[in-house]
Amino acid sequence: MLVREIMHRNPITASPDLSLQDAYRLMNDRNIRHLPVLREGRLVGLVTDRDLRLATSSLATRPFPPSATVGEVMKSPVTTADPLDPVEVAAHTMRELKIGCMPVLEEDALVGIFTGIDLLDAMIRLTGVHRPSGRLEVSLADRPGELARLTGLLSERDVNIQSILSYPDESGNLRLVLRVASIETRPLAEALCKAGITIVWPQQRSCR
Amino acid sequence: MPVVLYHPEYGAYAFDADHPFSPLRIEMVLDLLHEAGVPVELVAPESATQDELATVHDSAYLGAVADVSRSPADPRFEYGLGTQDNPMKAGMDLGAARIAGGTLTGARMIAEGKASKVLQMGGGLHHARAALASGFCLFNDLAIAIRDLTSRGLHVAYLDVDVHHGDGVQSIFFDDDHVLTLSLHESGEYLFPGSGWTHELGRGMGRGFKLNVPLEPFTEGDNYLEVLDMVAQPALEYFRPDVLVVQAGADAHFADPLADLLLTTQTYEALFRRILTYADRFSAGRLLLTLGGGYSLEATPRIWTILYLVLFGYPIFENLPAAWIERWRKELGPDPPRTLHDPPHPYETIPRREEINRHNRLMAQRLLDAVSMLWL
Repeated sequence: MLVREIMHRNPITASPDLSLQDAYRLMNDRNIRHLPVLREGRLVGLVTDRDLRLATSSLATRPFPPSATVGEVMKSPVTTADPLDPVEVAAHTMRELKIGCMPVLEEDALVGIFTGIDLLDAMIRLTGVHRPSGRLEVSLADRPGELARLTGLLSERDVNIQSILSYPDESGNLRLVLRVASIETRPLAEALCKAGITIVWPQQRSCR
Repeated sequence: MPVVLYHPEYGAYAFDADHPFSPLRIEMVLDLLHEAGVPVELVAPESATQDELATVHDSAYLGAVADVSRSPADPRFEYGLGTQDNPMKAGMDLGAARIAGGTLTGARMIAEGKASKVLQMGGGLHHARAALASGFCLFNDLAIAIRDLTSRGLHVAYLDVDVHHGDGVQSIFFDDDHVLTLSLHESGEYLFPGSGWTHELGRGMGRGFKLNVPLEPFTEGDNYLEVLDMVAQPALEYFRPDVLVVQAGADAHFADPLADLLLTTQTYEALFRRILTYADRFSAGRLLLTLGGGYSLEATPRIWTILYLVLFGYPIFENLPAAWIERWRKELGPDPPRTLHDPPHPYETIPRREEINRHNRLMAQRLLDAVSMLWL
């Protein structure tokens, strides 16, 4: 999954001359928290609702007045993403830097933006159930051919696989969660178990 | 007197011999009632017409079902036809249309005041979508019956106690505020079809009228009844349905081979008595019951026999007739039951019981919290 699949195109932007008052109103009206700042079409900074609140807070040593400009409080330079970046790489960057959004640049042009919420949407798409399906969880040895053997066994039984998630478990095996187009996951698990696949779910006493 | 609907053509809705959705389950119930000397009077319904099926299903889907029923060798995977779960045989559409006709007849008899309580001895095909066969279900007889009721301006509460989420009925009425659906099921994290979360509350006008309680695997009977009461009572009190429609699947029983809940026949008797009470309190006694899932040939016929006895107010007999056990020896397995109810302590103690109970209560509470903002 690439950044261009999850980003919002045509993001709402601000100019550096916009007052903090107007930037605040713009965020409220459009229900957004991040404004890329453009000067003559080029990204020069980013201002968030948090930046505005901190800059104007009465708790600040020298609070900015509402008439101050976005250019005075924006963060610069901005960490950006490319439309062809994988979403997991973008997630990694956002986690490392503890930032809430990334503007997306193509060459030097701003073409989109995505936030942590869009990454959550991506996670829901990656892990979600989109058609009626049953769940099969197996543990495979981490070596070539294991997944092929599993999918071969499913194919022999005409079982359609709708999604596969995998992650390494504590013991170094590959944990696989498959969504399959079948209500009969228990008989299926038993058949797989008999063929030597380690079944994690559905639980069963034994397949011998 | 309650009306019981059945037609021999229901048996034409059969998959391969070893497929779990077996018409034998209903034959075993009727035979058990007969052997036990319980009076049974069956009313034979008409088939649903293509127009009636089309009140819920897309015409392209109906065309595909007709095609595949004529030539089962050509599956239509885009409609779920001819898959592992929904293998197709010649003439299957006739059986499915007869079953849909049965549930529809039940709805009409109630709407026209000809009956107050109806038991459809079949049906409950709650996974079928407008254009998708799914989970052994070809035509959604429940949705077709409910649509007939709502087209007359009636409000319908639908309670689904099958162990699988009633996803087909929910999706067909997702934006409809005339239909309240409540499904209790094993959590989609573990079981087909994977949906049925507390956040699935309906869309648009229907928001707040679609209720789901996902239950942990190995949920036991007492806790099941507790969370049912937690949700069903306030929901029915709020919604005040004209008719209560119940999908009485029997696959939440501990012996069921396809799922992991641990209800006993004793739980089912208490559950069915509650359903009658709900109907009397909240829908002026108007109740349409269908069967549904239930894949243990040993347990399912006993559960639905109990349903029949509870519905008619007949006493629950204790011993199973020897002739019945003998006749169904193959289906009942090597260690056939001797009594209508399960024996005491029929399964091993569940070490995680308290954790499971707590989590299920939390699910019910989370659902009630979410809808409390919408039920104003």
